[in-house]
Amino acid sequence: MSEPERPYKRLSPLTPLVRSFLLVVAVAASTWDDLLRGDAGPIAWLLLGLLVAGAVYGAASWLRTKYWIEADELRVDTGVVSRQSRRIRVDRLQGIDISQPFVARIFGLAELKMDVAGGGAREGSLAFLPLREAQDLRTALLARRDAVRAGETDRAEPAAATDESVGSGPVVGAVAPPDRVLVSLDPAMLVVSLLLSAEFGAFLVSTLVFAGLFVFFGQIVGGLAAAVPLLGGLAVTLFRKLSAYYRLTVSETPAGLQVRRGLFELDAQTIAVSRVQGVVVTEPLLWRRLGWAKVDVSLAGYTSGDRDGKPSTSTVMPVAPRATALWLARRLLEEAGSPDPDAVPLTGPPQRARWVAPVRRRFQPSGLGEHLLVSREGVLGRRTHVVPYARVQSLQVHQGPWQRRFDLADLRVDSPPGPVRVRLRHRDAGEARRLLDRANESARRARSGQLPGSV
Amino acid sequence: MDDLFAPPGNDWRPVSPALARLRRSVLGAAGVVGLVLVVVATLLWSLPVLVWLPAVVVLLALLAWGWLLIGRNAQWWAYAERDEDLYVKHGVLFRAMVVVPYGRMQYVDVQAGPLEQLFKIASVHLHTASPGTSARIPGLPADEAARLRDRLTSQGEAQAAGL
Repeated sequence: MSEPERPYKRLSPLTPLVRSFLLVVAVAASTWDDLLRGDAGPIAWLLLGLLVAGAVYGAASWLRTKYWIEADELRVDTGVVSRQSRRIRVDRLQGIDISQPFVARIFGLAELKMDVAGGGAREGSLAFLPLREAQDLRTALLARRDAVRAGETDRAEPAAATDESVGSGPVVGAVAPPDRVLVSLDPAMLVVSLLLSAEFGAFLVSTLVFAGLFVFFGQIVGGLAAAVPLLGGLAVTLFRKLSAYYRLTVSETPAGLQVRRGLFELDAQTIAVSRVQGVVVTEPLLWRRLGWAKVDVSLAGYTSGDRDGKPSTSTVMPVAPRATALWLARRLLEEAGSPDPDAVPLTGPPQRARWVAPVRRRFQPSGLGEHLLVSREGVLGRRTHVVPYARVQSLQVHQGPWQRRFDLADLRVDSPPGPVRVRLRHRDAGEARRLLDRANESARRARSGQLPGSV
Repeated sequence: MDDLFAPPGNDWRPVSPALARLRRSVLGAAGVVGLVLVVVATLLWSLPVLVWLPAVVVLLALLAWGWLLIGRNAQWWAYAERDEDLYVKHGVLFRAMVVVPYGRMQYVDVQAGPLEQLFKIASVHLHTASPGTSARIPGLPADEAARLRDRLTSQGEAQAAGL
């Protein structure tokens, strides 16, 4: 209130309700009956009191939360008791994602997640804004960032544009070119791919096993007690994947590739191609006949992996024809000159490696290409890990006592945290060393810009 | 000698013999404690020869084995500074060698615990953006550790490559 002249904006007034929607519904459902009958017990009153206190706090929090753009920074002031003021520098924004959790989607609201360079996790988030406003703010911020990065010192013009667009919605449109959809996921393919996944196989097998046990022993009740949690868990996992990846599209935006997806909860994630550390192409056993593949990506400063059991955010394309998947992989490796992972000649471990890895020896080919290090793994499913030289952090050779007996060694490529792990397993020891030195030299040249497209 | 761990142009620089001395001192101290325990137990419960003699023999054998292992491990631990990268090799049973380009270094740690200070050595640990990079050189003489750290940081700054 000390700065009344600021052109600040507030979040949507529905924010507190959306944040605690489930709680509100639960309290209302458990107490309204009692209250109407007029014989509310102490617990009902306590719940109601908590609800009122929560509502007051929520309203205060809403009143106290303001955001505005000021001198190339997005300022967000929050806090009821202790105040916080966060400034996010526009030129450090890597990407801005818009996500719509289910409840927010019902109310037409969205969350804006700012992905900031250098920060491990996401540093800034604005929740919740009307979807339109969120989109406009995103466009305005990205346009502002590009202007700042392009070194436009003339602040007046972009500032005016920003104020307008942050203002009341429909003015935008001139700033960003329309997004071009590159690949979209076929829903039928997604369903079939889930039916052919390992989880569904486990689901089917355990259903059959339990059904067999019922018939054999006639112990319906005890059997159900064991079966329901297991089957329920598997079903939830499958359904989560289906709802998370539903209607997934990969489109091209000025900030990078954007992945939009979701059935109930809409999620948009922007992948800055300059931050791609490597790619994994996965071909599960049952998909291989159909020629399908999945594409995952490692991004710098993006802690991927499963959040609360949700499908991984590192997945760019959950299922696509292999050619499309590889095309997407090349697209993601644009910075290294869009090399083709399939063009890298792969060789397997030598014959004598059968004493070290009798079965897996046949499934672990690897090789160095002109721009890429590639290794494969997996006996049933096949995973192809790809790292461009320009993204190699460090290289290691490892040799255990049993490997030394057969003059074999592993070459490992260290990458930032993510799904990509290139491992050249069980190569001839002398060859492993030559590969290490060669990869190191290529990585050096890639860093100093002597390989095309490298940084 | 070994193809796999041949020096990368420059010769390997070994770590200080003080590292083996330190580890052997710790081992020796542990051995003395073990022997004292055996003696005390023997006197307290007047254990028969058949119990305390094998215990002492096993203890001495373990000590001797550890003594040799420490020596070999310290001999194998070596590093080579080159113009743009650092090679580190270590391990006897499970051998490994890592190459870290200076441009990929995020930061360098120098550590010296109380015992290490007593033996005037320190360990240098290089970190990249990958948690898998295991580039640690223990048992460097304190002034060599400081020199290496300064060289690594200055080279890292000069050759820094973004992510």
